[in-house]
Amino acid sequence: MNHTKTIAGILALGSLWGFAECIIGSWLRDANLPAGTIMTAVFAIGLLTLSKTIFPQRGTQIGMGLVAGTLRLLNPFGGCYICSAIAIMAEGALFELLWTWVSTDLRQLQTLSLQCCLGIITGYIVYVGGYTVTQILTPLLSTAGFDPANLLAFTPQILASGLLPAFIAAATVPTAIALRRLPLTLKDPVYYPVTAATAAASWCLVIANTLILLHP
Amino acid sequence: MGKANIVLTLGALSVLLLGSISTLYITQTQAKTQTLTINNQTYTIDQLFTQITPRSFTDLNANGIALDDLIRLAGVATPEDHQYTIIGADGYQKTVTWDNLQHGLLTRQRQTVFSDLPKAFNVRNVTTIEVKAP
Repeated sequence: MNHTKTIAGILALGSLWGFAECIIGSWLRDANLPAGTIMTAVFAIGLLTLSKTIFPQRGTQIGMGLVAGTLRLLNPFGGCYICSAIAIMAEGALFELLWTWVSTDLRQLQTLSLQCCLGIITGYIVYVGGYTVTQILTPLLSTAGFDPANLLAFTPQILASGLLPAFIAAATVPTAIALRRLPLTLKDPVYYPVTAATAAASWCLVIANTLILLHP
Repeated sequence: MGKANIVLTLGALSVLLLGSISTLYITQTQAKTQTLTINNQTYTIDQLFTQITPRSFTDLNANGIALDDLIRLAGVATPEDHQYTIIGADGYQKTVTWDNLQHGLLTRQRQTVFSDLPKAFNVRNVTTIEVKAP
């Protein structure tokens, strides 16, 4: 797959991820559901796994994280948006690092049990890693500064919080891999308009949502 | 069983074990107190709201007692020379400066709110505010 096609895919999938974080994430928070867990274990890991099956090139998931995190910064509502943006970018990078380390060849992941195991590892590492990175970087970007003692004291809670995303991702990863097996391939004349429209629609909806909330 | 199988299976079991042990640990250590300890003095939230006049942050839609008033009530000498660690019942904690405290409130639900800091500094179910040397 050529670079232009990959970049268009990164923009489309990253924008979809950012859209989900901003709009669906807010709905989940309003419904008092564990938004962070669901967003990471279902949407982030689902889209990242799907992207890995479509675009094997390195840097794809980091790029998606940057696009989604930037979109999250445009929507200053629903929880800590700076923390969320940092966590999203970190999750993209951690996913890429982990899957590069474990295996870049999806043909090795033929059995459902192996896919579930990779889902558990990915869900846990991506969630706990993203949580940890944001606990370090958010204070560093504020006037209070970062105190390592705060992170150390809260480490058991962070480690425990990864359990639910791990279980959910055990279903998300096999599902995303199975989706790739569906006979859905876009030809070039359709591919670029579809990816551009997906990205543009995601950004427009998030910006419109921000403007509506700012000027109700 | 191939190498990839072993690595992935052991990896999955390890993270599940780590998460489970951590969950057990925090259920054993979580604080269940209804009081607040500030500079080694213990108060209930009702006592604090009786002794200190609440303020409001209209931009944050929050109402509560100012954290700098709280520190003065606890009798901290030269408060600007210290840092303050706010600790929640779940172990979540954040260290802030005197400048930050002057932009912070403690709500009746025992949650801190700051107008000058990200929401990551909102500690829920505050149990302790430690006064630290800078």
